[in-house]
Amino acid sequence: MTTTETAELRRRVQLWFGPQHPGITGNMSVQAWLEGDTLTAGVTHVGYLHRGFEKLMERRRYIQSFPIVCRICVPEPDTNEYLLAAGLDELSGLAAEVPERGRWIRTLVLEMSRLQMNLMTLGGHIGAMAMGAAPNWLIAMRDFVLDRFEELTGGRIYHMFITYGGVRRDLPEGFAERMEADLEAIEEKLPLVDNVIFDSSVFRKRAIGVGVVPEEWVDEMSLSGPIVRAMGIPRDVRKDFPYEKYPELDFEVVTTTGSDIYARAWVRRQEIAQSIDLIRQILRKMPEGPYCAKLPNMLTWTIPPGQTYVRAEATRGEMGYYVVTDGSDKVRRVHVRAPSYVHGVALLERMIPGTNIADLAPLMVSFQVCPPEMER
Amino acid sequence: MMHILDEIRERFGAEWQNEQRPDLLQIGVQAKTIVPLLTWLKAHTPFVQLTHLSAVDWIEDGEFQLTYLLTDPKAHVSLMVCTRIDREQAEAESIHALWPQAVTYEQEINEMFGIHFPGSPRQGVPFILEGWNDIPPMRRDFDTVAYMNSHHPSRPGREHTDPRAYIGKVFGERGYLHDDD
Repeated sequence: MTTTETAELRRRVQLWFGPQHPGITGNMSVQAWLEGDTLTAGVTHVGYLHRGFEKLMERRRYIQSFPIVCRICVPEPDTNEYLLAAGLDELSGLAAEVPERGRWIRTLVLEMSRLQMNLMTLGGHIGAMAMGAAPNWLIAMRDFVLDRFEELTGGRIYHMFITYGGVRRDLPEGFAERMEADLEAIEEKLPLVDNVIFDSSVFRKRAIGVGVVPEEWVDEMSLSGPIVRAMGIPRDVRKDFPYEKYPELDFEVVTTTGSDIYARAWVRRQEIAQSIDLIRQILRKMPEGPYCAKLPNMLTWTIPPGQTYVRAEATRGEMGYYVVTDGSDKVRRVHVRAPSYVHGVALLERMIPGTNIADLAPLMVSFQVCPPEMER
Repeated sequence: MMHILDEIRERFGAEWQNEQRPDLLQIGVQAKTIVPLLTWLKAHTPFVQLTHLSAVDWIEDGEFQLTYLLTDPKAHVSLMVCTRIDREQAEAESIHALWPQAVTYEQEINEMFGIHFPGSPRQGVPFILEGWNDIPPMRRDFDTVAYMNSHHPSRPGREHTDPRAYIGKVFGERGYLHDDD
């Protein structure tokens, strides 16, 4: 913000929304200016969580970066693990050696990750409007998926499971049956959630027509994810830039119209059903065979000079990794292109003027802003 | 899509080009052509989205690399435009007039690498750091260990163990256990 802008804004009521506020979407704050109940301007502030992930990776061997990248978005770490692995697989030449089963298990993990994250975010949608029942149910459903993550990887939140050349372990015996039981349990309870969220007059009044993002901003600001699909635009990295086993799965990009908070919540609800279906397809198609390529000695592994950009569809939108290598045993540069970087700063600041103060938290949740990935 | 690289080479000149993948083209150009090139790409080609803007410190060459990633959202192809600038005169033209979200990228690169983008609205305004008075931390010559030791010294009485020496003491000189150990 320029000095002139700041001087002008000093004449209005200033409110710091966060970093300690139940409505904020994590460790960030919005410096907002008010006239009555209406926000006239806002500036996103990050840095409360900065741990210098990208810098740390430049000082560590390739294998040592996995415990770092999973922390770049705490509730959805697997996209980060996959992108680091995919980028360095490509630059090292390992990409061609990833076995089929390894690719299918990677796809399974990515879709399980999307499922649990969408369950949590859908709860956030209504939690931001101070309604508590559905978020608790959805968090409980998410825990079913976390149970399977714990069984598969040993960790509920941070998994460090996708690695170079494939994944770290094979599926445990009986995993598919237990996963199916959990998916059925989630499906059984979802109609309750629909009643409380999408049939709720309170949610409809506060979400329909609120936070409408204009379609012309999509290319201008490089928007992605449910924000774009809620405008009726079928953009999804899984279809547009296919990776792993997504081209072999049968699914359509979920879209709706309205481009408001309600439409974005509806897209997420449909993507929960889509993820359940995709997980079933993946488990049915899972081939036998090795799950990881033969890896070089990780203590002495060097990768030839090169640069690439790899992308995947996180629940928040396009997540990308710009990876540069210089022939040494450490990355030269990793730069994370996070969806929240655009949605949480440029887009949010552009949407704030004219927004009612009570709608700020629901708006941020509908953009699914994840602060750690903004400050990496 | 390789024809776009040939057209850029003809119109603006190119130092190198590469097809990293069928959906990812790369080209290196001189810094003075960046803004005219990106303006032309946005106005006359399908590469209308600025997906990413990044910097790399090539300290051994005395240069910074700026990388602009543009995407054609209909053909699903990305174009990576790279340029190098002098590390001592670290300055580049701003592209915030072309894409508004470039303000945040340029603000962060200014903070983390010390590269200045004249005219970009938030130059010098902290993005992540607060009260930072050292060299920009993403530069290769910023020593993270020295910074930690000088700013966050260990508590008195805390015992330090060199990991390599400790592993050697416990597991022997090889530093690891074999299955038959």
